[in-house]
Amino acid sequence: MSSIHVAKPDLSEGNVRLGTAGLGVQQGAGLVGIIGLVASAVIGFGGMFGTTPTFLMKSWTQNYMFVLAISLGALFFVFIQHLTRAGWSTTIRRPAELIAANLKWAWVGLIPFAALWFSGGSHVEGSDAAHSNWGPGVLFPWADLEALKAHHPAEHDIVAAKSAYLNATFFWIRAIIYVTFWGVVSTWFLRTSIAQDATGDIRLTEKMQKWSGPIAIGFGLTITFAAFDWIMSLSPAWFSTMFGVYFFCGCCTCGFSVLIIAVLRLQSFGRLKQVVNREHYQDMGKLLFAFGMIFWAYIGFSQYMLIWYANIPEETGWFLGRQIGGWGTLSFVLLFGHFVVPFVALISKWTKRLSWYLLAAAIWMLFFGWFDLYWLIMPEVPADAMTAKTYMEVVEAHADASTHIFNPLNFTMLAGVGGIYLWMTIRRMRGSTLLAIRDPRLHEGLSFENQ
Amino acid sequence: MTTFETSVPAIEPTGSLSDSVKIHGLLAEFETPGDILKAAEQVRQAGYRWWDCCTPFPVHGLDRAMGIKPTILPIMVFFAGLTGLIAAFVLQAFTNSSGMSVWAMVWVTGYPYLISGKPLLSIPAFIPVIFELTILFAALTSVFGMLTMNGLPRLNHPLLGNDRFRRATDDRFYIVIEARDPKFFRTRTEAFLESLGAVAVEEVQD
Repeated sequence: MSSIHVAKPDLSEGNVRLGTAGLGVQQGAGLVGIIGLVASAVIGFGGMFGTTPTFLMKSWTQNYMFVLAISLGALFFVFIQHLTRAGWSTTIRRPAELIAANLKWAWVGLIPFAALWFSGGSHVEGSDAAHSNWGPGVLFPWADLEALKAHHPAEHDIVAAKSAYLNATFFWIRAIIYVTFWGVVSTWFLRTSIAQDATGDIRLTEKMQKWSGPIAIGFGLTITFAAFDWIMSLSPAWFSTMFGVYFFCGCCTCGFSVLIIAVLRLQSFGRLKQVVNREHYQDMGKLLFAFGMIFWAYIGFSQYMLIWYANIPEETGWFLGRQIGGWGTLSFVLLFGHFVVPFVALISKWTKRLSWYLLAAAIWMLFFGWFDLYWLIMPEVPADAMTAKTYMEVVEAHADASTHIFNPLNFTMLAGVGGIYLWMTIRRMRGSTLLAIRDPRLHEGLSFENQ
Repeated sequence: MTTFETSVPAIEPTGSLSDSVKIHGLLAEFETPGDILKAAEQVRQAGYRWWDCCTPFPVHGLDRAMGIKPTILPIMVFFAGLTGLIAAFVLQAFTNSSGMSVWAMVWVTGYPYLISGKPLLSIPAFIPVIFELTILFAALTSVFGMLTMNGLPRLNHPLLGNDRFRRATDDRFYIVIEARDPKFFRTRTEAFLESLGAVAVEEVQD
């Protein structure tokens, strides 16, 4: 087939290294990040715009989960390519490895959680003092059972029965296992791949393929339980065994979107020219379409329908909190924005092959990946949801439930966490080659065509 | 391969169109994917319409060289899926949520029945059936639409009786221009195919 091969691609330094080109964006992102974090601290600790410690902590959790989901999605992309011995993706695997390698710093996001345990305080002394009171119960109701008994007696017994799993010691042991596993695995993939840039040793590829199997199992377990611990346990009376898969879909939405954005932006900086082409756009678009939209909608609906059909109060309460007041509208915004609209927009082949169109779609999906986490983490389940006689009784009692969607804290926190994350990502990209230049399957990726 | 070559009969000069043997077309053999890519480009530019390429494996870029238009199958599948979606919704809304009577061969009446306090018209409960019927209609349309449009299944094809053509599944690349093409002229087309660098051009009988 040598006679019809594509022209020899440009593997020179200028095409596969970012150099100083991204420095301006990196510094800008770092600046936005610092300003955002400072502004969030001022608003959150000062109680401005009606924010509470709970609101501040939830906002932190949401944005931490957002950047975590981006890197976890990228890590999934990396090991699934090794697991399937994929050739097409060799040209875009390095950016994914670089994004995933941010997981080395995943433990930093746990510091505010740890600070809660050291801050002491409790909500027991009456709700008026809530603003000055901190303690783990601010975010995790199960960590302060006394306060739960005082404020949500109906939930207390259910949550107390789960204390074998939901207790501080076990929670922290698990958290350390997750962040260690992710950090070690993502760093190992990046280092092994970079080592191959120098030697071109095929055994390194074989080693990564061999370990991708066990890593896939570890990945599945850690993100499932991390989703249980850090998102589902915010409403500890509620439970869904599908929740881990749902969070996995969210990771795919965020991770694949950012991968598409990163690759297309690198190309607009004049990097990875000829190396990544429309064939790769189309396949990245397919992955985002399949995992980020359809699988997300499939799992989200399956979770919803089982709970809706069975109609058991301890399960429906969680969804009830997302149907009262303004949250009902936001639930529909999520349904249409995360599934219906992008489904129609990305179903045709040509849409995934046009770079500006795909870029717009990826930015759209990234926003809704963030919005999905907002919808998961921010709402409060009303205390009377489990004792009310009818659905309409709760809906009417909470008709003016605020969604806080326009609270400035949500956006300063996004700017803060997102800015620091972007700064970190570009910094890492500038310090490495953007292409696995000696990957044994690189020629497959370069001459790849969808047929 | 020399024994194989000798088994191929020499091309006889053909007589008039009233000959009893009808010809299917002309078969041109090429040795490399690069050759057939270049040849296909020129056959397309020469304005032929009833012709095809046969290769032992997918040759990248051949579709573009031949000028094959994108299939309309996805559009058919989309509308079939939409039909399935609407059909499933109407079916369930009629049977579960209305007391209407409709004549469909016999008189059929909806049976509104309250289940676990849900509204009679409960969209979440309908979605699994809507999903399944959408997939069913779309899948059946794509399979049978594909078969209809590419003319399969068929029991025989004139090319299958040609000895030279056997190597299409091994290491040779073929272009076939059919006799029903309006630009097809027995001798002129043969000369044209030879000028494209074919290692052999041969008549295929119907």
